[in-house]
Amino acid sequence: MDGETEYVFDCPACGESLEVNGSMRDALLEKGCVVCGSSLTPEAFTKTTSTEST
Amino acid sequence: MSLGPQTELSREETDAFLGERETGVLSLALDNEPYAVPVSYGYDAGARKFYLRLVSTPESEKRRFLASTPQARLVVYEEEGDVYRSVVVVGRLEEIARDELTVEHVEQYGEAKRPLFEIWGQAKRDLDIKLYQLVPEQVTGRRIAVDRGDDAPKS
Repeated sequence: MDGETEYVFDCPACGESLEVNGSMRDALLEKGCVVCGSSLTPEAFTKTTSTEST
Repeated sequence: MSLGPQTELSREETDAFLGERETGVLSLALDNEPYAVPVSYGYDAGARKFYLRLVSTPESEKRRFLASTPQARLVVYEEEGDVYRSVVVVGRLEEIARDELTVEHVEQYGEAKRPLFEIWGQAKRDLDIKLYQLVPEQVTGRRIAVDRGDDAPKS
């Protein structure tokens, strides 16, 4: 099983805050904030947990 | 000006038209009170769903009409040269809760044109931005040719 890293996403433009996994983080970085559409950088994400594969 | 024969757009033509366009007019109603607002949307032709960001403030009229899960109509139209095309979508507007957001939602909203937050004159942080999907129950597309020859000034 792949390890799953969780992040907290904080949009610097609209203030939206969401808990997201790695694939959501990738999609948000590529497409922008789902709520306001602003472009995002990795600084908008804070890693919270990382579970290693077993 | 005269109107040529009106033809119905095929499913493929309708999907292509909705995919090319990115704005329309969303109409809602509350009892006998109508409400219409220009919106931008993202369109997923495969799932035949529309994705909209709707912005309101506590005082805004829009919030009143969005209070329940309303029936809605979205009208998308275009006039290009002598050809007028329109699509009318009838369906239910469903709010997407933040904790239900998926990668697919992020991708679809990424395709949607950004709303013009500037018109609100307030910082984004002060606006209530809600995410909706419009699930169509009926989609009707039409094309009509307009002959403007009769209106041309004669010299």
